[in-house]
Order: sequence, then structure tokens, then C-alpha cells
Amino acid sequence: MMNQEGMRMLNDIHIVDFVLVDLALYLDTHPYDQEAMEYFNHYARIKNKMAKDFSMRYFPLTQDLAESGKEWRWGAAPLPWEGAC
Amino acid sequence: MKDFGFDGNCDKFPIGMAYVPWQRFDRLYDNLEEGFRNGTIFPELNKPFTGRRCVR
Repeated sequence: MMNQEGMRMLNDIHIVDFVLVDLALYLDTHPYDQEAMEYFNHYARIKNKMAKDFSMRYFPLTQDLAESGKEWRWGAAPLPWEGAC
Repeated sequence: MKDFGFDGNCDKFPIGMAYVPWQRFDRLYDNLEEGFRNGTIFPELNKPFTGRRCVR
């Protein structure tokens, strides 16, 4: 299901996601700050790519990344309280 | 949105009020994981409670 590499990828996604949260909080009060917006766009692209890669290799983090073929991968993904994500 | 940055002119501010300096975008942590652990990506906002007066 998910190995050490997967856990590391997920941890990196959490870190980049946190950066976006904090940048968004800053941008809420500084809506014209160009530099902050460039950082946000940059890390948003990175996070989207990481989430897509993770979802292809392990399990979809969000339904829109399910890309199911034979089986509905979203349903087969481990549940949050099962400690996998 | 008006910039509420402090231009150093104390006279125009009524006394007895509290003022919070407006955050300026300086820089992020070089190591984002360090920011993640500290709960902020802005080094200047990392103010750990040391159990006594605010000294670094």
C-alpha cells in the first residue's frame, strides 16, 4: 500500500500545503503584495504536482485525483483514521 | 486596500491605544520543514514562549 518513500512524499506534501496556508493568511491582509503572490503561485504548482504524483503512485488524496480504471480508487484508498494519510 | 504601514509619525496617533506594526514581506524560512515545525513560514513570527520575559 504505502512504503517509506510514500510516507516521505506525504510529509513533503504536508509541508508545502502548510506554506500555502500561511501565505494565504498573509495575502488575505496584503492582497497586493506581488512577491507573496509569486511565492504562492510557485508553491501551489509544486503542491499540485506532488499531490498528483502521489495519487498516481499510492492512492488519491482528493477525489478529483482518483483517475480510476478498473476499480474506484477513491473508495479503495485508506481512510484517515486508518493512519495512512 | 489602504496601506496601514506605520510611517513613524507618532503625533497623529491618539494616545492610550494599542497599535500592531503591519507585517512587511521580508523572507520565508530557507528550510520549509523548519518553518513547518515552528508553525510559521515567516522567521519574524516565530516567537517561542520561553516561560519568562520575551528574550531571545
